[in-house]
Amino acid sequence: MADKQQKRWRKILYEDQSVPDNYVDSSFLDELQKNLHTRKYDYWTVCEQSGEVTQQISSLGLFVVAYVYMENGWLSPHTLFTITTTLTCIGYLLKMYIDHYYQDTTSNRTFLDDIKTALVFAGFSYGLSPVLVSLTETISTDTIYAMTAMMLLGNLIFHHYGANAALVSEALSLNAGLFASVCLASRLHTTWHSFSTVTFSIEIFGLWPMLRRNLRKHIPQTQRWLTFLLMIITSMLLWTFSTVAAIFYIILFLFITFICPAWLVSLQPLKNNIHGPWDEAVIEEKKVS
Amino acid sequence: MNNCLSLRRHNVCMVSDFFYPNMGGVESHIYQLSQCLLEKGHKVIIMTHFYGDRKGVRYLTNGLKVYYLPFPAFYNQCILPTIYITFPLVRNILIKEQITIVHGHSAFSTLAHETMFHARTMGLKTVFTDHSLFGFADASSILTNKILQFSLADCNHVICVSHTSKENTVLRAGLDPKEVSVIPNAVDATMFVPDPTKRHPGKITIVVVSRLVYRKGMDLLAGIIPDVCQSHPDVQFIIGGDGPKRILLEEVRERHELHDRVIMLGMLEHRKVRDSYNAGMLEHRKVRDVLVQGDILINTSLTEAFCIAIVEAACCGLQVVSTKVGGVPEVLPPDLIYLAEPNDQSLREELERAIADKRAGRNVPPFVAHNRIKLLYTWRDVAHRTERVYKRVADLVERETKERLSRYYSCGPLSGKLFVIAAVLNIWFMCFLQIFQPSQKIEITPELQRTYILKSNANQKNSKEEQRSQKRTLLECEDSLTNGTSSKILRRSNRKRTKSKKEL
Repeated sequence: MADKQQKRWRKILYEDQSVPDNYVDSSFLDELQKNLHTRKYDYWTVCEQSGEVTQQISSLGLFVVAYVYMENGWLSPHTLFTITTTLTCIGYLLKMYIDHYYQDTTSNRTFLDDIKTALVFAGFSYGLSPVLVSLTETISTDTIYAMTAMMLLGNLIFHHYGANAALVSEALSLNAGLFASVCLASRLHTTWHSFSTVTFSIEIFGLWPMLRRNLRKHIPQTQRWLTFLLMIITSMLLWTFSTVAAIFYIILFLFITFICPAWLVSLQPLKNNIHGPWDEAVIEEKKVS
Repeated sequence: MNNCLSLRRHNVCMVSDFFYPNMGGVESHIYQLSQCLLEKGHKVIIMTHFYGDRKGVRYLTNGLKVYYLPFPAFYNQCILPTIYITFPLVRNILIKEQITIVHGHSAFSTLAHETMFHARTMGLKTVFTDHSLFGFADASSILTNKILQFSLADCNHVICVSHTSKENTVLRAGLDPKEVSVIPNAVDATMFVPDPTKRHPGKITIVVVSRLVYRKGMDLLAGIIPDVCQSHPDVQFIIGGDGPKRILLEEVRERHELHDRVIMLGMLEHRKVRDSYNAGMLEHRKVRDVLVQGDILINTSLTEAFCIAIVEAACCGLQVVSTKVGGVPEVLPPDLIYLAEPNDQSLREELERAIADKRAGRNVPPFVAHNRIKLLYTWRDVAHRTERVYKRVADLVERETKERLSRYYSCGPLSGKLFVIAAVLNIWFMCFLQIFQPSQKIEITPELQRTYILKSNANQKNSKEEQRSQKRTLLECEDSLTNGTSSKILRRSNRKRTKSKKEL
């Protein structure tokens, strides 16, 4: 009997090892591995990368600020159009420069293509702005504001922050932003108002994230300054008409930038992902040729 | 009582959503195990949901009674999970059949989980056999594992088919490993006898017998076929089975012009199968007909709790090349199997090794392998070990309600409370049922098997003949639907039995 016990138990079925069927060997669960693919996060890196979220929130803030300013008559649509278009042109040149400098030729669009697209877009927006201005006129202002809030939230939720999640949809995000701008455009009075709002929304929801992504990819050190700059501008502009909004915005910014990363880093050790021989084997992606 | 039956007799109810006419591992496991338990003198009935027009009570070989319950299949051959709706009918059957142990099969089977839950509420002992492996990573497995935890929290004993499967189940359901036994599957060795004359002389035939689906690693297979065919002009593949990945294999065959080297048999089943769950499964005899033609079987599964296919192949005298996943490395002794990592390169290397060994004549001769497997995995052994589990379970002192509830409560902070509510509701439901249909008023069903078992134990040689005549009678009554007819048949077979008794 002692002889049998000395013989080491093996994890096999094809031999009778003279142990009861419910025998539990000391090697039980030896092949269990935990957290094989867990990443270790560095607090400051996560803080910096949270800028992707706060930058988008700041952009939405700027869009709302532009609307409120026009609504109150502090800003003429012409000025808005001039400023945003100038900035867009500068941004475009910057992007061209980055693409050229870092040899990033992901798309084969030429300068002429871009000009053509921009003109077609501007032309259609201008031509349709009389329609847009009266499109949602009959809907009550409260409904419009509620819808705008929902749409901007949708823009935030579906925005592509760099993660490959199932929820991400750039098209949905952009459409939500444009819908919000169309809603707000009807509360303003002239066709020029509506035209500059829609143009601005395309620039800030469509083109601006593309430029930011480009900057992040090639010159990552710009990110923290960009985040900070956007935060200062947005909070100051908000402050001019609503202290509450400005404070709320700053609290949100601090929460996302400093508290959420701390939260993530502190929760990370609690991660408990188990792997073992029972896992389904994964075939390497390779096309049979 | 006969002295031969010093063993305690159990009244067992096997329950699973998966049973004949469905074909598969679980189905044949239940059938074979039940037959061997019947032979050992226990009473066994089977509960499943109806299949097509196969409803009501049916009798199979040796009077194995099967209840096809009127709960429609909802998803993947499982009934809709409702927890309570099944209780009245299940209670009625368990009482009238005087069941003492309920044995559920397969983690996917809703009916098994629900019946075990009701049986525990009624104070019956439960045993559960897990046939599959499950991951932990995605949302669906988290949910399924929670359900399994609920079902097994109060189960008396769990059986797994391999050590890996045991580790997996212990982790998934948070069980005490001492309450989990490992009892491997078995093969009916008489069905898988080698026949070297059927092999293709001058060629090396590699056989694949499997459903052609992603989980069986058909992408790996498609990757290695062209290379192996190119480097060995005398190698041919025979692929039996069907499934969504068939088109991939056909594409590979087409592209490399291997029509004469890769033979695709498709589905060999002569019976028409209605559902997709069945599609691609081969019948046992047909499987054997394919297997005996081959020299080597290749199994490319990505996950497998036990893998009966490689045992069947080894039993037919084939060399086995398999991916090293799940419980596969535990199943066959090293000289009968070539284990490969689940990737193209490793599989190809092991297959090359098997081919080289075959050419050099270093492989184990077919009948030697057959005789070894024949003794390794037998259903009688499985039944014997399962019987030990039954005995252990039957000897357990019944848990008090308080302890049962505390077991549910400890399942989790939120889920624990939900589980307790579910369990308490079921106890109340049982009290209601007791009022409306008192258990004393439920008629006990007469037994068909008793005398036969006593006699078969008394005389082994005669029992075989008896068994045969019995089989004939029971095949006659297989199509009877109601209890009325079955009792008529009962009388008839009793008459026959007394006749043969006289002859004795």
